[in-house]
Order: sequence, then C-alpha cells, then structure tokens
Amino acid sequence: MAPRAKRRMSWTILRRLVQALALLAFIAFFVWSRRGGWPGSVVNASMRLDPLAMLSHLLASRTILIGSALALITLALTLCFGRVWCGWLCPLGTLLDLFSLGWWRGKRDAPPDSWRMVKYGLLLTLIAAALFANLTLMIFDPLTILFRTLSVTVWPAVDQLVTVAEATAYQIPALRSAVSTFDGLVRPRVLPVSPVFYRYTVLYAGVFLGVILLNLVASRFWCRYLCPLGALLGLVSKVAILRRKVNERCQECDACARVCPTGTIQPERGYASDPGECTMCLNCLDACAHSAIEFRPHLTPAESQTYDPSRRQALVAFGAAIAGIALARSSGAALRDHPRLIRRPGAVENDLLSKCIRCGECIRACPTSAIQPSVAEAGLEGLWTPVLVPRMGYCDYSCNACGQVCPVQAIPPLSLEEKRQQVIGHAYIDQNRCIPWADHRACIVCEEMCPVSDKAIKLEMVELVKPDGEMVTVQRPHVMRERCIGCGICEYKCPVSGEAAIRVYVPPLGW
Amino acid sequence: MSQLTRKQFLRRLGAGLGALIGGWLLAGCGTEQEPMPTQPPAAAPQPPTATASSGATALPTVTAGESVAPTPTRGETAAPSPTVGEAPVATATRSVGPPDLVVARGGEPEALVRRAMAALGGMERFVQRGYNVIIKPNICVAYHTYEYAATTNPWVVGALVKLCFEAGAGRVRVMDSPFGGTPEEAYLRSGIQEQVLAAGGQMEIMPQFKFVPAEIPEGLDLRRKDIYDEVLNADLVINVPIAKHHGLARLTLGMKNLMGVISGRPAMHSNLGQRLADLTSRVRPALTVVDAVRMLVANGPTGGDLDDVRKMDTVIASPDIVAADSFAATLFGLQPMDLDYVRAATEMGLGRSDLSNLSIEEMAVGA
Repeated sequence: MAPRAKRRMSWTILRRLVQALALLAFIAFFVWSRRGGWPGSVVNASMRLDPLAMLSHLLASRTILIGSALALITLALTLCFGRVWCGWLCPLGTLLDLFSLGWWRGKRDAPPDSWRMVKYGLLLTLIAAALFANLTLMIFDPLTILFRTLSVTVWPAVDQLVTVAEATAYQIPALRSAVSTFDGLVRPRVLPVSPVFYRYTVLYAGVFLGVILLNLVASRFWCRYLCPLGALLGLVSKVAILRRKVNERCQECDACARVCPTGTIQPERGYASDPGECTMCLNCLDACAHSAIEFRPHLTPAESQTYDPSRRQALVAFGAAIAGIALARSSGAALRDHPRLIRRPGAVENDLLSKCIRCGECIRACPTSAIQPSVAEAGLEGLWTPVLVPRMGYCDYSCNACGQVCPVQAIPPLSLEEKRQQVIGHAYIDQNRCIPWADHRACIVCEEMCPVSDKAIKLEMVELVKPDGEMVTVQRPHVMRERCIGCGICEYKCPVSGEAAIRVYVPPLGW
Repeated sequence: MSQLTRKQFLRRLGAGLGALIGGWLLAGCGTEQEPMPTQPPAAAPQPPTATASSGATALPTVTAGESVAPTPTRGETAAPSPTVGEAPVATATRSVGPPDLVVARGGEPEALVRRAMAALGGMERFVQRGYNVIIKPNICVAYHTYEYAATTNPWVVGALVKLCFEAGAGRVRVMDSPFGGTPEEAYLRSGIQEQVLAAGGQMEIMPQFKFVPAEIPEGLDLRRKDIYDEVLNADLVINVPIAKHHGLARLTLGMKNLMGVISGRPAMHSNLGQRLADLTSRVRPALTVVDAVRMLVANGPTGGDLDDVRKMDTVIASPDIVAADSFAATLFGLQPMDLDYVRAATEMGLGRSDLSNLSIEEMAVGA
C-alpha cells in the first residue's frame, strides 16, 4: 500500500511543479515584454498559445497569421489529454489553486451544475460576435485578464513599494551601497527606472480580486462556470483520447469527489466525471485508497451532460451577439467622436477593433506607460483596447515596441523609421493656460521636448505691454501642425498642473 | 506541525531579518566604497593608509589601497597626491601654472581630450588615488546616434574615463537622466555606453530615490532642489556637455548640462539663467570639458537633422565652468554675456567670463 501511495503522490507533485514553471514562464514573458526585454515575437508566445484568442481573431479579422499556429499545440494537447491546459498550464488556474480560499469556503455546497452552462454561453456568444468582426468579449479571456492585471496594477504597485523601501533604506548611510547594488539589479531589467502610472488601477484590481474571491463560492469557480477558454477546451475534451475511468474496485467512499477542484465527479452516477469539466489535475488518483481510478485512452466521445450547449443555447448566443453588436454600433461611441481616442502608431480604428484581442501586450511593452487600456474613449465596444494617454506618458520617439509585441498585428510591426513618420494626433495649445500666452512668463518646455526636426513647435518672440503697463519680451509657442506627429511629449512634460496647456487630439478628418 | 509560541516566532523573525540585513550589508561592501556625508575637514590631507572615514567604518571589508580623500572644492585647491611616485600636483598659480582654459582643435576626439588635459596639468591634478569619479555627459534623449550631436561624443567620454583610471581613480561612473526615452536606451544609442564600458567605467542608471532634497545656500532664486545624492558626494565630478542650441537658454553648455542631476526640471524654466547659476553654486564640478567635436546649431536640444550639425573638432577644458561656457559661446558667434546663466554666474562670482583676461592655451592637435 505504502509504495503505491508514494508513486501516486508523485503525480500531484509533478503537476504542481509544471504549474509553477508555467506560471513563472508566463510572468517572465510578462516582465520582459517591456521594451528592452526579450524580442516581441518571443514574449507574445503566451498569447499565441491561447486557442480562444487565436480562433476569435481568425474569425473577426479574416486574416491568417502563421504565428497563431502555436495555439494548435494547446489544441493538440487537449485532444490527447483533455483540459490539461486548465489543470497544468493556465497561469490564472494556478493562481486560483494557490488562492483557493478553501479554509474560508468551508464545506458549503457548490452551485447547481446548470451554472456550468454560463461559460458555454459566453463562449458561443464570443464566437458568434467574432463572426461579426467584434472581439469585445475577449476581455473575459483568462490570459488577458491576468496579463492586464499584472501590467496595470500589480507591477506598478510593486514598483511603488520597492521605491519607497529603497528611499527609506537609502536614508541609512550604512545601507546606501547595498541599496544601490540592489537597485542596479532590478532596474531597468525588472522594474522601470521612472515610475509608470495607469488610470483606474482599482477597477482592474477589483476584476481580478473578484475572480479570486469567487473561489469562496466554489473552488475554481471561474474555471467551472465562467471561463470561455475553459469552455472551448472543454468542448474539445469531449473527444479527447485520455479519459478518467472508475473501475470495479470502487468502494464508493466519496474521497475522490471531495478533492475534485471542479466538482465534476458525480457520486450518483457511479463517480463518473465529465471530461469537459475535468482539468486532469489527478487529485482523485491520489485520494483513492483502492486504486479504483484509472486514466485510459478512449476513442468514443464522452456522454453528453444536461449543461452541455444545446442548439437552443447556440441560437440564443447568436442572437445575443447580434443584439449586442447592434446596440454597441448604435451608441454614440461608435461615431469615434471622442477627441482623445489616440491610437497606437499605424493603427486603423475599425481594423484595430476587429483585430485587437485585448491582451495588453502593447500596454506592458510601452516604456513610458503612454498606452493605457481604454475605458471611456472607445466606448463599450472598444473597452480595454489600447489608447494613448499623453498626460500619462508620451510615445517615445526612439521606441516601436508596441508594434513588435502585438501577437495579432492589430497594428503593423513598423520599423523605427516608419513609426517616426506615423501621425497619431495633433497638438493644440490652450492659450488660456499656457504660461507664456496667459501669464507672459518664460516657458519653452514643449518646444524643447519636441523630438521632430525641424521642430513642430516654434517659438515666436513677442514684445507686449501687459495690462499693468509693464513691457515684456516673451517667447510664445506655436504648433506647426503639418510637422506634428502627435507623440504627446509636449503634453506629458507641460509644467502646468493638472490638465496640460498643450494637448494632443485626433487629427481632423481627411488630414 | 507543532504550534509556534509567540516568543519562538519573534525570535525566528529577528534572526531572519538580521541575516537579511547582514547579507545586504555584505553584498554592498564588495561593490562600492563611498565617502559619507560627514567628512573630515577639507584641508587635512589623508595619509595613504587611511582606510575609511567615519561612517564607512561600519563596513567590515575595505579594499586595500583605497583611500577616501576630501572633496576638493575647486580644481585649484586639490590636495597633494598622497602616494609617493605619483606625478607632482600643480597648484594653479596664474603666472607659472597651467592655463585657465585649454582649447584643442583639429584631431580625433580622444587625442583632443588627452592633449587638452595634458596642457591643463594632467588628470592627476584633479584625480587622486582611489577617487570616486562621476562623469556627467549630455545624454538628453534616446533618439539619435552621436552623429546628430544631441548627445556628447562617445570617444570624448571614453577618453576621460581612461584618463581618470590612468590617474589612479578607484571608480568611474558615467550617468545622465534623459528626458526623452529611457536611460538604458539612451545609453546604448548614444554610443557612450560602449566606450565607457570598454574603458573600464560603469554606466549608472539614476533611480528616483537618489534625488534627495538639498539646500543651495548660495542660491539667489533657487534655494532648494532635489539633487542626485551621489553627485554631491563624489570626490570629483567631471562635466562633459556637448555644445548645442537651445530654445530658451540659446545654448546648452556646461551649466545647462547640470540640469541632468536634478529632478523636477520643468520648474527650472522660469528665471532659468539665475536658477542654473544657483544650481552650479551647489554642484560645482571641478572640471568641465565641452565637447564641440560636433555642434548642433539649430533644433536643439533634441536635434535629428544632420544639416544642423557643424563638425568643429574642438574640445574645451577648464576647471572653471563659467570660463568654459564663455569660450564655447564664441564658437557660435555669441558673446558670453549673451547667455543669461553666464551673466548670473559671473555676478555670483562662480567663475570668470572675461575671456580677454584669462590665460587661454589654444593648440592644434592635427589629425
């Protein structure tokens, strides 16, 4: 008995090891997605492994990307072994295991099985919407949720904490050299040299926290009831080869049902499980004291369940997708009339909406945090698509990282020279707030910062008499619109407090 | 698992934290020796065997031969070299000593720097054995390579690093905080990183927390600013600006280059001339080497058009930052007093801008 138990134990340990490695790899790819890290085509592999993202992108954009073929690996794994992605590889799944909150959850009953329909509904709606060139629902993809959370909330917060700790330790003379050494190790490789800021960080943290807290209702609540990627892989798993089987040695002790994280082992059906729900975690294999559980190859499809997607559900999903898109398209945001909807260099608006999988790679890659997830600018349809917010950061004239890292070419991967030619907006001066214009005092920061040559901001030397009779000479900035590329460094660096006195807007129609 | 009592828990926590802090301390000791802010009186020459000044005694390992010497307030007052066999240190007396300012023309950048420094009395005049040297070039943006003359010539910086080590410096770091693009990218694209590393120096990325509030006692307008701590505590700061155009200051030269060692730069721009002079009174680089190998004459400070670049093959070196800026202004056809910051600094007595009364040695190096 003892040696057998030991052998089985090794499966769980192996799984946890693989989970840890996959999570670390995901985080490493995340960290070095930033410009100056690893090549964009390498780090975005974590997104290209996601079959839901690649399938919906294929449907919505009607373009085939060779790089998307990486997702076939995940599909092949699923066809052979079932939802191993969910149990062994998915970084969000691993985090849900780490923060399973079992102690707080106690022994409460899981929600009824019919809830499992929700994820299939979400998947079908997502696919239907993708057929109509809409990818809004990709915000529910687990990888995009985790990646966005890491880049927009976790890393900036870690950076702030480290900076405060460093600044505090640096006050102590004996620690100074140690702090310097430590800082040299983490910056710029892991943390940014200058702090990065994102809008609405609490919102993204809240979404992520919600996904974790749902574990209080049932373990892996997200994976069981909501995850559209899990639903896709679950459907494939119905015909997967390797499958769990309970043999005649079963003593009906309930041990396996108790440890199953997705609650798919049904005592009333002879402890059978649904391959579409089983994440192949092999917990039950360990828990069974009677060697009653085996994983064997099968060629027949799994039997259907009450919560499996039906024809009716598919029709409802289709209808929901059409209605949703129609609603989104008729809302004001669809006019693209937001003056600050500044997109990444080279991106075309309708193109971007049907190509962007909302993964946030570009947001992470941007070294100045100029690219932020859109909340208001692009409406509901473009929620969390990348938008350039110049007051948060400027488009670095020496950087083309966002195009390089995008896994789906939602913007073309431009060379640095090409990117420098791209006009993403135009700067306008607010003469009521601009220091030389309104206060007749010296300030040339926008002109100094302007990276194009010949400069797109010119200084006009004027002599004028102020209302109080004083004669002053002051240099007033003017934007030479035909040379302005809208990089936004002028707006970012403008020393006026709050809203800048020079701001970048979408260029006029037909410019 | 047995229950931990509170006492056991605290004991283990204490041991763990102690080990962590000890480890940190040890890790730091191997890499860096820096003088603490509380320094011995500036006049007292340190014997060569002096291991460390007050604060540094807390660090257990001190590299043999390293001595922490007082910071010279200006080049002229550099203390005699503590090590026997070093080149004798010249005291800058006006008539017999080295000139106030050296201009080297027409040659490769490294040769220009070497000849200029030799004429100025050698780097040994500024560097003593074991000195912690910071070289501050102008790496203001990450946009262009050195040909565009927005950033200091890499070979000029490299030559200075070499000269410092040849004079016995213990540690030479090169740094700037660019306003456009990230420092790592700027260091790379400027070409400076390659030359500095090849010469054995280090590129330091300037993190936020090292900009600490500093009083500027002599400041007339700017009385307080966040200044890079290491720059204030280095044994020697060498200022290596590139001569170029600037929309407000007209030219960015030595004093304008010091904007790179402070944070909160946009706020400097009203009354820029006086504030730059105030900043100079606090930082006081002991040596300024103006790189005019290539000059940017328009669309500065960012540049980007080779038509705005003039190849001058000139290097200006002086312990007097005001004199160096004054002479550099003439390369652009301007008078020293055309620059607000030169005027303000002259009035504050930070240096001399009366070029006709300075002893200036001009030399042709030849290619």
